Amino acid sequence: MALRELQPSVQRLVLRDTRPIATAAGKCWRRYASGDAAAAAPKEVSEDFQDLESKTSLFTAFSPDDKVKAYDPIKRTQGRRRELPPSRYQYRSPRYYRGPLHPHQPPPKSDPSSREFIPGPFSYTRLEQTYQSTIAPDLMTMTYVHKPPGTVTIPKADRLRTWDDSSPYHKGRPKRGPRGPGDTLRLIEQDINWRNIPKIEEVTVHTFVKGALEDSSHLHVAGMLLQAVTGVRPTVHKAKHSEGRWGLRKGNPVSLTCNMRGEQAYDFVDKCINLVFPRIKDWPGTTGDSGGNISWGFSREGAILFPEVEINYDMYPPKLIPGFHVTVKTTATSDRHARLLLSALGVPFTGKLVD
Amino acid sequence: MAPHSSIRHLISPLLQTFRTSLTQNVLPPALLSSSRTFSSTSPTSAKNDKKKSIDPRITLIRYHLQHPATPRPLKFSRMRALRHWTIHRAWMLALRKKLEAEELELQRMYQSMHNAMEELRTMDERDGKTGRDSGRLYRVALEKKGIFGKEGVPVEYARLQTDTPAREAWDHSWTR
Repeated sequence: MALRELQPSVQRLVLRDTRPIATAAGKCWRRYASGDAAAAAPKEVSEDFQDLESKTSLFTAFSPDDKVKAYDPIKRTQGRRRELPPSRYQYRSPRYYRGPLHPHQPPPKSDPSSREFIPGPFSYTRLEQTYQSTIAPDLMTMTYVHKPPGTVTIPKADRLRTWDDSSPYHKGRPKRGPRGPGDTLRLIEQDINWRNIPKIEEVTVHTFVKGALEDSSHLHVAGMLLQAVTGVRPTVHKAKHSEGRWGLRKGNPVSLTCNMRGEQAYDFVDKCINLVFPRIKDWPGTTGDSGGNISWGFSREGAILFPEVEINYDMYPPKLIPGFHVTVKTTATSDRHARLLLSALGVPFTGKLVD
Repeated sequence: MAPHSSIRHLISPLLQTFRTSLTQNVLPPALLSSSRTFSSTSPTSAKNDKKKSIDPRITLIRYHLQHPATPRPLKFSRMRALRHWTIHRAWMLALRKKLEAEELELQRMYQSMHNAMEELRTMDERDGKTGRDSGRLYRVALEKKGIFGKEGVPVEYARLQTDTPAREAWDHSWTR
């Protein structure tokens, strides 16, 4: 500290001195680039500059030539142990992934030479920002359940059935599912703490194009519309079974889905809530799958209200514009938690609420 | 002359006779003839005109849907690739820092809620209060009445943050 305070006074002395003061500058323990330059560059300082601060940049004599001269690319190249590949060399990632044992492995997704590379993110979505700053803490506070320290939690019985060891083959077998017709395990709702506040994970848009059975143009128009609305290229799905009443034949392409994650998903939900919902006349409501995924549908009129369609409405043949379903997948494990999240985001819930 | 070509030269008359015998014996003479059936009208006029006229918008949409799904991978020179890598690493670090800070903040809030509730719970016992009113604040604070109903979150809550918020936050007098 003392040294630092000493510095200006020393410099003033230095500047006033008629002689060059390499020795004085050398005695300074702490070296400053500007101080060194001042010591090196100005031999005589005119009286006009006497009152200026000694550290002013007017006196600094920065010469880039030294650095330029010091840079010797040939020497650097010769100093390398191994020669670099020529700069024109381009790594081409293999077109197909041939498994973990193949000698050609594709680069990571973040590498621009990867075929799966997606640039971005380009924005921090407004909805996500609001969620992170206000909604998440509010949900956590609202659903807070207090557990006094020392509370003994009784572990629940295992829902999976074990094998009785009547056979030696039971040894490594995975446990059996629950008894009864619904043989899948239902999700268990967890108390919300700071690590499992429900949030939007993925949004899926799905449309079943009935007209695609006769004319493929229905499917194409629907695909274009979904691509415009979601920003994701839709995946075509074929009919799994023949159904005579609907004229469905096995193997016919009939439906389209788009999956959105992250930024795109938040943007889509934002669009739905703030641009489309307020203009829909008859809101049919939402449904849930009792596992934390909430879905709703847009009719043909609803699809037209999306800004991407509205601005370019003439592009689509009006008879072929489809409606679609939207499924919002949340990290919540029960419908009521998912509903809490979505109602905080602004999705209206009417009618009887079913969990 | 290479040996193999000389062999082929030897065999070729044999092959030739084999081919001619095949065509003469197996194929019917009608298929072999190259003349076409005579017709006075062009094939296009015979087709249905209505089916042919497709909406040009559909044609356009089909044309644009043919765009390849994934573009070819980007090609960067060495220095550009290095720059990209550096920026990517820095971004990942920044992102990680941000996520960790967010989670820590939430944990801090949760912890302070826990402390407050613990204080409420033990307050009355410590003060020697007994009876109906003891622990009332604690019980009231833990009430979850109606939060999962329709009025759990008020409509006015769902307003996203903006740089330029409205002067009047919610127009309560609005009717359709």
